[in-house]
Amino acid sequence: MSNVIQTPTLLAAAITTALLAGCAGQTTSEAVAAPAAEKSMAAAPMAMAGPAPLAPLGEPPIPADNLQSPAKIELGKILFFDPRLGGDASTGCSTCHEPDQGWAWAEDFSRGYPGTVHWRNSQTIINSAYFPRQFWAGSASSNESQARGAARGGVAGNGEADIMEARLRVIPEYVERFREAFGTQWPIIRDAWRAIASFERTLVQRDTPLDKYLLGDKSALNADELKGKELFEGKAGCIQCHNGAITSDQDFHNIGIPPNKRWEEDGLAQITFRFEQYAKGQTQEGYRKAKSDWGFYYRSKNAWDKGKFRTAPLRYLKYTAPYMHNGVFYTLEEVVDFYDRGGFDEDGRTTLFPENKSSLIKPLGLTDDEKDALIAFLESMSGEEMLMDKPAMPEYAPLFTLAELEAAQEAK
Amino acid sequence: MGVRVKTGHTLLAATLGLGMAFGAQAGKYPDITSLPDLKINAAKAELGKRLFFDRRISGDAGIACSDCHKPENAYSHPDALSPGYPGNGHFRNSPSVINAAHKKVWMHDGRLGTNLNDVTREMLTEDYIMNMDMRVMQERAKQDPKYVQMFKDAGYGEPSNGSIRKAIPEYLKTLTSVNAPIDTGKMSASAKRGQKLFKGKAGCIQCHNGPLATDGKAYNTGVPENFDIFLDPMNHHAFIAFAMFQGIEDYMNLKRDPGYYNITMDAADTGKFVTPSLRELKYSAPYMHNGMIKSLYDVVGFYNRGGGKDSRKDSRLKPLKLGKQDIKDLVAFLESMSGDPLTSGKHVWKGPYPAEYPVIENWTQVKN
Ligand code: HEC
Ligand code: HEC
Ligand code: HEC
Ligand code: HEC
Repeated sequence: MSNVIQTPTLLAAAITTALLAGCAGQTTSEAVAAPAAEKSMAAAPMAMAGPAPLAPLGEPPIPADNLQSPAKIELGKILFFDPRLGGDASTGCSTCHEPDQGWAWAEDFSRGYPGTVHWRNSQTIINSAYFPRQFWAGSASSNESQARGAARGGVAGNGEADIMEARLRVIPEYVERFREAFGTQWPIIRDAWRAIASFERTLVQRDTPLDKYLLGDKSALNADELKGKELFEGKAGCIQCHNGAITSDQDFHNIGIPPNKRWEEDGLAQITFRFEQYAKGQTQEGYRKAKSDWGFYYRSKNAWDKGKFRTAPLRYLKYTAPYMHNGVFYTLEEVVDFYDRGGFDEDGRTTLFPENKSSLIKPLGLTDDEKDALIAFLESMSGEEMLMDKPAMPEYAPLFTLAELEAAQEAK
Repeated sequence: MGVRVKTGHTLLAATLGLGMAFGAQAGKYPDITSLPDLKINAAKAELGKRLFFDRRISGDAGIACSDCHKPENAYSHPDALSPGYPGNGHFRNSPSVINAAHKKVWMHDGRLGTNLNDVTREMLTEDYIMNMDMRVMQERAKQDPKYVQMFKDAGYGEPSNGSIRKAIPEYLKTLTSVNAPIDTGKMSASAKRGQKLFKGKAGCIQCHNGPLATDGKAYNTGVPENFDIFLDPMNHHAFIAFAMFQGIEDYMNLKRDPGYYNITMDAADTGKFVTPSLRELKYSAPYMHNGMIKSLYDVVGFYNRGGGKDSRKDSRLKPLKLGKQDIKDLVAFLESMSGDPLTSGKHVWKGPYPAEYPVIENWTQVKN
């Protein structure tokens, strides 16, 4: 941990870029980013109105129309691991949210439905119960609606509601469990999403070193971590966006993440890239020219939202590499270096929409020790790894006996 | 996946039209004549051929049209119940698609009555057939340089899901009977005797008439249910999804295929299925909407007994009292409606498909 590699050349590169940008006319996309960064020098990171302070995580909110019950949670758990909740019965939630891969998928782009690759990084399920906005660009508003979307998307579950509902109905154990949890005669697909959401609301982590510290156990963070906390809340300015108990303001920012190079090198990824432009409602023109993920723009359709993403929560990070919506960074070292350079990767690449880049992202001038401390603090937001064995899958069985079928035939 | 269109009403109109044309003069039915020639655009058909055999136009790239419509089985499937998209079964027999381009009504229950473009769309998008999001399909085609070239050569411009659904029907037009004895006139004596029975004593012509040997109408012949629809849960869940989508009430308790009832929701139509074409039967066993009858001898035996058991069975079906030789002759006649197998490179795509999608070079500079 925390062996931050010295990157003086990169730092220099970032400064050069800033200088170049000063000389009008140099309009490579990297260069345009700089003025925004300069402007923000004025903005004091810890203004009085100030961001919500870091806080211990409370109980997850439970919606009044989907209260928790042991039967529901257990059902939701089985469903979460059941690949039959997807088009060809091979790709369920846990396929891309593997408990031993941080309840996510340990590649830059998530694996996709068979024959496809996804175009975004798979997010962890841990603590998703707290997010009023789900997905990288915040397009779902609850665990319930999120699950529905995940099971259906062409490169995710690719399953239609009717076939998945029909499958559940020919699995007697599910029929029984749905009856117990929801009181229905036959499983209804909407209730499957509700059960999964209930299960997800149990996948929370509230006993991280940071939580313990904030609850009064002053020994829970060591000196290094405390120094990191100070940087996080001060010089590095992370708290401006990563704040409150869930370490996210749930707002959208363009922090300068460059496009994933895989789109230039991988045919399958290029297919999904174009498909997503359609799926996300791009215009013809946008479909033709998009060369990166436009993020929140797909929902708002405002030019200034291009390249903005939801502030990613920082809890459980230790287990969820790679990072960012397109997984371009494989370590926290890379992430911190990226912020330290003011939103540039080691090759000086940044967002294709530098005009939208947040003025809060600017070179930080962190020393190596400071980077180490910041990373140590980031890791204190993760507790023990949460592992879980896959539950036994209930089996299909015929609904009718041969005798019943013969009787029906006789009665024709 | 995607939008499925219910076209029952169009079909009803189409069927009525046919009924008026053929049914009016009792006892006189159109002969089983040769099929008219179809105008075919070779470049479009060639493209459609490559698509028909390409598994990449299904959701998980696991199943092609040709996996259920196999060339060696007259483009039908030898299992009683068709396979389904991976993870699913099916509840009907996969029919031959030879001569499908000459039809006006498709599917065993006749629920599609518009055109082959719509039939193709249904095949591509249905959950338990190919489960294809057509936007993914289009982008896959655009990623295959061979397709890019073929779409251009066919005059379609760049690959699109719309032109895929045009090219496949163009290819289906190439699948028509070739050299069937009934068309060439080279029928055996037995087949000729069978033809007489067919038009006369056996009464088959009442429903099996015109160039395809079908009147395009639906009848209840009392074919027994195939219990495997219900005893195999993978088939049953596909059936449940289908019945649910069709809007059939009490679909969880349904123990039979409702057939034409899907379209009219009139109980009198329960168990009716559209008269199938009798061309290419030699290769398309087993028979009937659910594959319940294994051989042509058994089919003729079935009719000889007056069809199956159903309180709504069509009154035209009566025990026929055919002798052994009559049965042989009828079978010989049925076989004389089968031509040469369409299994050569002329109809079958024998070329390779790339194992991987090549990358589009210079991606950041070119238009998507
Ligand atoms: C094919 C891979 C795949 C499958 C299958 C899949 N997911 Fe996901 N999941 C992802 C990816 C990728 C994202 C991020 C997507 C985005 O932002 O567009 C995601 C995001 C999420 C999130 C949002 C977390 C957050 O922080 O906002 C939740 C919750 C989630 N998935 C739950 C599920 C559930 C429940 C299922 C099963 C019904 C499921 N997923 C199936 C890949 C998958
Ligand atoms: C302007 C608001 C803002 C500031 C300031 C900010 N972040 Fe972020 N952070 C974001 C957003 C937005 C994302 C998601 C970006 C994406 O995926 O494209 C993110 C993502 C991350 C991630 C990746 C999380 C994951 O699950 O992939 C880490 C780690 C992170 N930030 C750490 C930091 C640190 C450390 C700082 C301070 C040096 C910081 N952030 C400052 C907004 C901000
Ligand atoms: C998973 C198996 C399967 C696949 C794959 C499949 N079909 Fe079918 N097809 C069937 C079945 C079963 C039917 C009859 C369905 C019914 O009656 O409800 C059918 C019916 C048809 C019909 C109507 C025939 C008639 O005379 O009514 C046509 C035409 C057809 N398919 C063409 C295609 C094309 C083109 C493709 C590829 C795009 C395709 N099929 C893929 C199983 C399949
Ligand atoms: C009342 C109309 C009617 C009459 C009369 C009739 N058929 Fe049929 N035939 C049908 C219908 C409808 C089907 C489809 C039934 C099903 O799929 O369940 C069918 C199916 C068949 C099939 C199966 C074709 C396939 O591809 O599966 C054959 C063969 C056949 N009939 C031959 C005959 C012969 C021979 C006669 C005369 C002995 C005859 N039919 C008389 C309506 C009729």
